[in-house]
Amino acid sequence: MKSLTIDHLQKTYFDPFADKQVTAIRDISLSVAAGDFVSVVGPSGCGKTTLLNLIAGFLAPTAGEIRVDGRAVNGPGPDRGVVFQSFALFPWRTVLDNVAFGPKMRGVAKARRHEIAREYLALAGLGHAAERYPNELSGGMQQRVGVVRALANEPDVLLMDEPFASVDAQTRMTLQEELTRIWAQRRSTVLFITHDVNEAVFLANRVIVLSHGAVLDDIAIDLPRPRAWDALIEDAGFKALSARVLQQVRAA
Amino acid sequence: MSAAAVSPGLRLWGAYVRWSARQPVLASLVPFVPVLVLWAAVVQSGIFPRVFLPGPIEVVEKFGTLMANGILPAYLEDSVVRLAAGTAVGLAIGIPLGLLVGLSDRAYRVLWPVLLFFQAIGDIAWLPILLIWFGFGLTTMIFVIVYTVLFPVVLNTVLGVRSVPLELHRAALSLGASRARVLWEVVLPGALPNIMTGLRNGLGFLMFDARRAGSVVEILLGMVVLGVLWYVVDSWVLAPIERATGQRWGLVTR
Repeated sequence: MKSLTIDHLQKTYFDPFADKQVTAIRDISLSVAAGDFVSVVGPSGCGKTTLLNLIAGFLAPTAGEIRVDGRAVNGPGPDRGVVFQSFALFPWRTVLDNVAFGPKMRGVAKARRHEIAREYLALAGLGHAAERYPNELSGGMQQRVGVVRALANEPDVLLMDEPFASVDAQTRMTLQEELTRIWAQRRSTVLFITHDVNEAVFLANRVIVLSHGAVLDDIAIDLPRPRAWDALIEDAGFKALSARVLQQVRAA
Repeated sequence: MSAAAVSPGLRLWGAYVRWSARQPVLASLVPFVPVLVLWAAVVQSGIFPRVFLPGPIEVVEKFGTLMANGILPAYLEDSVVRLAAGTAVGLAIGIPLGLLVGLSDRAYRVLWPVLLFFQAIGDIAWLPILLIWFGFGLTTMIFVIVYTVLFPVVLNTVLGVRSVPLELHRAALSLGASRARVLWEVVLPGALPNIMTGLRNGLGFLMFDARRAGSVVEILLGMVVLGVLWYVVDSWVLAPIERATGQRWGLVTR
């Protein structure tokens, strides 16, 4: 797994209805170490989703540079896996073929890519759902597939855009615990966008608070792992960190 | 009230539902029985003169004679050829054009209003001019086929392409797909349910556009034959494709 560096990133775009340039990212410099788990929080409009879209290559920066493992980002690519809030599974492909999609694009033969997909599905306890279509699964199951699909392509960096925002609260907690477990096993480099302060603290080693397109604070989360909600929900350390992040987000 | 107290009517209905599940082909004919009875009754009542409204018997007799003298088989062949030509044109020109207009904002801005305009005119309006220009020949027929099938396919393909969520394009690209692969793996399957709708509409218009003049019996017979042919194409070809694709994927609700 490779590191991610962001150097004086700026993004402005023209709003034809307001008839003016709007600044989404004012100036962000950031470095994420290989194998680290970083959450990015901030109020809506702070630029966190724009930041993810820039790193993913869905948008081009106005100025500045993004590098993954030393290589400059120029458009979307399989070195940066993305997990979407809307899941973005292909409805016409079975769960197995959704997960095998990345390897298929790399030219991996059918038998081998199905083998890979089955391994990754097993990792998330989804082996039984391989032959189903996405619309036959619950939201929580669909997002598990979304995460597994991104992981199965073995990206250098995993970008997650409020991935658990549209599942119910109980499922969300389960998914968060599963994510920390899978991350501990695979040590992927993760950038996790969320507006949920507790989620940000629970998952990450480091929480970055964005405000008006710039980094407001960068807080280390030194809570022990493995993390489980049952233990952390009453934990003084967790509460203190969450309170501190919340304070910054509200100040943002 | 005990569970045994099911009304006889409901029992009969239950028996019919079970029978029609076993015999789907026969069952699909049953709803036409009252239609035939009503038709015969209206004819018998004498509201309309017999010459203007022939009964089912006359139409069946006409069917026999036109089959025997080879006119009806030729007519059926015409219709099938028209359907095949319409399908080929719709797929070969309609889908690529629809993909272009659906994917390119520039092509959309330039072409969409024009497409809507010419679709709204309809081929019937062109027919007199076409007959003057080309006569009642192959050119006119091709024009009508292209006109009738192409527009519904193009317009629906455009709608289908534009209905594919941006996230699906992005997901495919960040999983390593090239632009060309995105077209094949994401845009086409995403637009498929709409493309099928367009093809169905286009072929439907095309079939019933081509009714020929003749005696009232022949017109009625033509309607029945085309209706049956359309029913067969729809339920044996189009509907199974739709069930295996859009409905299965949850893109279209049953």
